[in-house]
Amino acid sequence: MIALAGYAAIFLALGAAIVIVVLGIRHSSDGDRSALRVPVLVFLGASIASFVLLELAIVTHDFSIAYVANNTSTTTPFLFLFAAGWAALEGSIVLWGLLLAIFTYLVWRQLDRVDGLGVLALAVMGVVSIFWFGLMATAANPFALCTQSGGDFCVQSSWWPLVAGAIPIDGRGPNPLLQNHILMAVHPPMLYVGYVGFTVPFAFAIAALWRKDSGRMWLDRTHRWSLISWAFLIFGIVLGGWWSYEVLGWGGYWAWDPVENAALLPWLAATAFIHSAIVQRKRGMLQAWNFILVIVTFSLTILGTFLTRSGVIASVHAFSQSTVGPLLLGFLALIVIGSLALFAVRASDVAQAPRLDSLSSREGYILANNLILTVFAFTVLFGTLYPLIVQAMSGDEVAVGRPFFDRAAVPLGLLLLLVLGVGSISPWRVASPELLWRRLRAAIAIGLVAGAIAVGIGVDSLSVVLTIGLGVFVMSAIVIRFFEMSRSRPEGLRSGAAKVFRNDLGYWGGQVSHLGLALVAIALATTSGLAVRDTVVLAPGESVVVSGYCLEYSEAFARSEPHRETQGVHIALMDESCSSTKAELEPRINTYEGSSQPIGTPDVWTGFVDDVYVGIAGGSAERIELNVFVFPLQWLLWVGGLIVVAGGVIALGRKPARRRETSDDVTHQEPGATHV
Amino acid sequence: MSERARNIIAIAVSVLALAVIVFGFSSEPAAEASAEDRIASLSAAIRCPFCNGESLADSQAGVAADYRALIAEQVAAGATDEEIMDEFAANFGDSFILDTSTSAWSIALWLIPVLALVGGAGVLVFMKRSASDREVS
Repeated sequence: MIALAGYAAIFLALGAAIVIVVLGIRHSSDGDRSALRVPVLVFLGASIASFVLLELAIVTHDFSIAYVANNTSTTTPFLFLFAAGWAALEGSIVLWGLLLAIFTYLVWRQLDRVDGLGVLALAVMGVVSIFWFGLMATAANPFALCTQSGGDFCVQSSWWPLVAGAIPIDGRGPNPLLQNHILMAVHPPMLYVGYVGFTVPFAFAIAALWRKDSGRMWLDRTHRWSLISWAFLIFGIVLGGWWSYEVLGWGGYWAWDPVENAALLPWLAATAFIHSAIVQRKRGMLQAWNFILVIVTFSLTILGTFLTRSGVIASVHAFSQSTVGPLLLGFLALIVIGSLALFAVRASDVAQAPRLDSLSSREGYILANNLILTVFAFTVLFGTLYPLIVQAMSGDEVAVGRPFFDRAAVPLGLLLLLVLGVGSISPWRVASPELLWRRLRAAIAIGLVAGAIAVGIGVDSLSVVLTIGLGVFVMSAIVIRFFEMSRSRPEGLRSGAAKVFRNDLGYWGGQVSHLGLALVAIALATTSGLAVRDTVVLAPGESVVVSGYCLEYSEAFARSEPHRETQGVHIALMDESCSSTKAELEPRINTYEGSSQPIGTPDVWTGFVDDVYVGIAGGSAERIELNVFVFPLQWLLWVGGLIVVAGGVIALGRKPARRRETSDDVTHQEPGATHV
Repeated sequence: MSERARNIIAIAVSVLALAVIVFGFSSEPAAEASAEDRIASLSAAIRCPFCNGESLADSQAGVAADYRALIAEQVAAGATDEEIMDEFAANFGDSFILDTSTSAWSIALWLIPVLALVGGAGVLVFMKRSASDREVS
């Protein structure tokens, strides 16, 4: 019953999306917003219904639905039961569709009464929606009924919802890795908001190209969407790293896995886009480049989805089904070829003479960072796909892993930091060497002193010292600039500071993100370059000192819960002399119902400087083998990542650009007009 | 404080700090990597057989733990990193070595991103040139 209703909701949403496309194209000339009211509302309602119905089926344990049988069980705790609604392939597409529908509705609400550009952009969003709901209606139907039960799960299912079903007695339960930590329920939806959000700037860009609106209207109107999506994407990436660190037991947070790369790629492109959009708004340059960047960003979100869901590249993140792969690849090809062809046709309308006064200027440094970011993205993409390329060309099997990506990322990252520090404090048009020196001399000295201190306390890795020095340089440059601007205000330093910040939330939000990024860079260097790793074997009552921390093994314990069996050990973490206890750690191994693979769960103590990370490596209760890792400044990585997100949120407060009645008068505006 | 004094202080502090850094790196030889660090970097550079493309370091599977133990044994027995990697490559094939720096294919892998960076920088300079030219004409 739920299946049939869910199926109906998906078809209704699909139909509404088709109507949005047809009406959007027909009304793009008169720009009549009200014409789209009914289909947009139906689309939203049907998408909500499909999501609610899937959750309802999961919560009521309707095992006649294959998705429910294969991804949940009667003993799954409620939170993970609810999260199962998007934890596997079909469900993730339902959430994707829901977000797309919500964004479609929000965009429609913000349209002007007469809005040709906006109505056409909605039609583009409708095309994207048709694809996703078409996928749900066919190859990835979340409500497919089970036709052959294998006891605790469904062996075979039919996407047609009127077949006589075979109902499994209980479900298989979620993938053990996915129910081991609460972050796993939060991390994917954050990423999806980021992924789906880039549909909006993409849709406006395509609509603007179609209408030959080469002005900045589409940028102004999608500025907040880009920022929100960008912030959610990096938030999701940080949460994913945090989850990996807390759960996977090897102490890492980033493995350059193809699917991790797939999340990083659109973020890198979006970061470049956000910056080059500022250059177009302030200086009237880079119109064509912005169109390309937004097309690339959106294409990379689809590519990421394809890599995750097609199984073309072996990855822990990849879902097993591969039937949706060819469809996603086809859609990706359509997006890339279609939008680039449109761009090529319109290039002469968009192309515009570069007006770069000096390479040493705010726009010059943003351009340089755009170059580094796109080369970074290209390198990650190239490395990820390289095994496929080589295999297609020669049949040889090669593997590209962490060593390549690490070695490529460090120099690019350091270059990025350097240019970012200089660019942040440069004025537009021209930044003379004298001015740069005056604004940077103190930051240069402070950065070098930080590097010297690092060397003094025994850091012997050049890349770590360089990162610390550059990171401190970037932060000092920004803080000093803020201090100087505040001090020169007539109302004095304190209220001047508030005024400076509030007067330009866009700029200072960006600087907050830059501060966060510098902290992230420092933490990346210290946690990878200065980590101490040890493997120890302990009997009950024994203790060992690792890098200034004493660990004493007191006793083993076992716990039994409905959905899992837990075995663990109590470890007392003490100071170097083994006298005062800082914390009790409980690294454990969980074995989930319906799975034979035990999942190690490390325990972490976070101090002012170090994280002490303890996981069970093997052995028995009498002689336990523990992995003990000490990661300096690990917490800085999470804090820095959250500061990057916070900067994006602050920048949302930027005063919106002046809205015009219709988008049409923008085309009459002189395209090179300088906006300062 | 005068501009001149600020300049002198900034330069003096910078030179002093730079001297400390240079002295620090030239005086003490880099510490030799510990056995655990070598095991960590080796297992990050070798792909785990039968584990979905993860490296030995990243995988939770039992086989990965077995191979990590094997690496630990070989490190303890005094084998060099190259010897250990060569043995894995001989047993499983080159595609299990994630550190591609030894393979012929890696030349293109490294060269193309570098060319992209250099080419992009060239475009930037060209943009500036053509903008200046137009102003002159």
